[in-house]
Amino acid sequence: MLCDASARYVIWRAVLDTLPLSVAVIPWGILTGALTIQVGFSPLAAQCMSLLVFAGAAQLSAITLVGGGSSILSIYASGFVISSRHLLYSITFRQHVQHLPLRWRLAIAFVLTDEMFAVSEAHTANTGTFSPSFALASGFSFYLVWNLATLLGIIAGESFGHLESLGLDFAIAATFIAMTFDQVRKMPVAMTMLVSGVLAVFLQPVLPDSYLIFAALAGMVVGYLLDSDVAPT
Amino acid sequence: MSWLVVIGLTAITFVNRYLFFSNQLKLRLGVRGQRFLRYSSFAVLTAIWVPIVIRLEYRPMHLDIAGWDYLIAAAVAGVLTLMRVPALFVVLVSSALFFCLRFWVLA
Repeated sequence: MLCDASARYVIWRAVLDTLPLSVAVIPWGILTGALTIQVGFSPLAAQCMSLLVFAGAAQLSAITLVGGGSSILSIYASGFVISSRHLLYSITFRQHVQHLPLRWRLAIAFVLTDEMFAVSEAHTANTGTFSPSFALASGFSFYLVWNLATLLGIIAGESFGHLESLGLDFAIAATFIAMTFDQVRKMPVAMTMLVSGVLAVFLQPVLPDSYLIFAALAGMVVGYLLDSDVAPT
Repeated sequence: MSWLVVIGLTAITFVNRYLFFSNQLKLRLGVRGQRFLRYSSFAVLTAIWVPIVIRLEYRPMHLDIAGWDYLIAAAVAGVLTLMRVPALFVVLVSSALFFCLRFWVLA
């Protein structure tokens, strides 16, 4: 399936289409690697986190919670809530991958990120068909860049010590703003962000373990209720 | 602790990605469930970044921004995103502005 010329073209198309997102994730990966080291992970554990978990937002929030002394259960719970959006991607891809052999489904699921989902959906919309080779190539090229970037961060985090005093956490804020803020024009999304953001600020000092879950769920409920497909007009 | 985090999160994120790829799974999330999940990334990412920029202390009751560098650069990131500037440039420009403010203008 991967050997002929058209398959090679699909693979290169996927790598090229994913490239802008791969470049954008480099500073984020460096930051994640550096911060993971600074909350006390060994370099091996920090690299394995990127190799195995491969979920930027979940990794960053987990190490923030580790740094704040949260319990392992609250870290798992936050990780679940943060990565629950992948359930939606999983449902969307279900019709395309259900007939594939198990190893293909496992591999595509392993590299299913926001970025791969977005690029693959665009490719499917353009060509009219979902390409498993395209999805895998997009996902693995992104995986490679993410892991190289975190490796750089791990090396930098070991060498320079307290990187957090530089204010590198601003890059997290900037990345998440860039990933979500263009949708703020839609009222349900705007209210989701407002409720989640305000609640997060007010709950963080009193519920350092679980503020993220409550703030996110409350925002999701408000967004759902205001959704024009749900709300009575 | 760190290995518990790595192994547990690996399982959690993989299950969330693979769940609906499983042929064993007959259950499907209804339309309402999908609509609810539609807001998850906005809710979670916002709940992560806002407390980086705005920090509250209850002792004494005191709402404070993390610093003008955070607030100004975050506002610029928001405006650039609304102007449909590509995400890569939003992150690069707002971060450059942030470090200029932090180590040069406001230092």
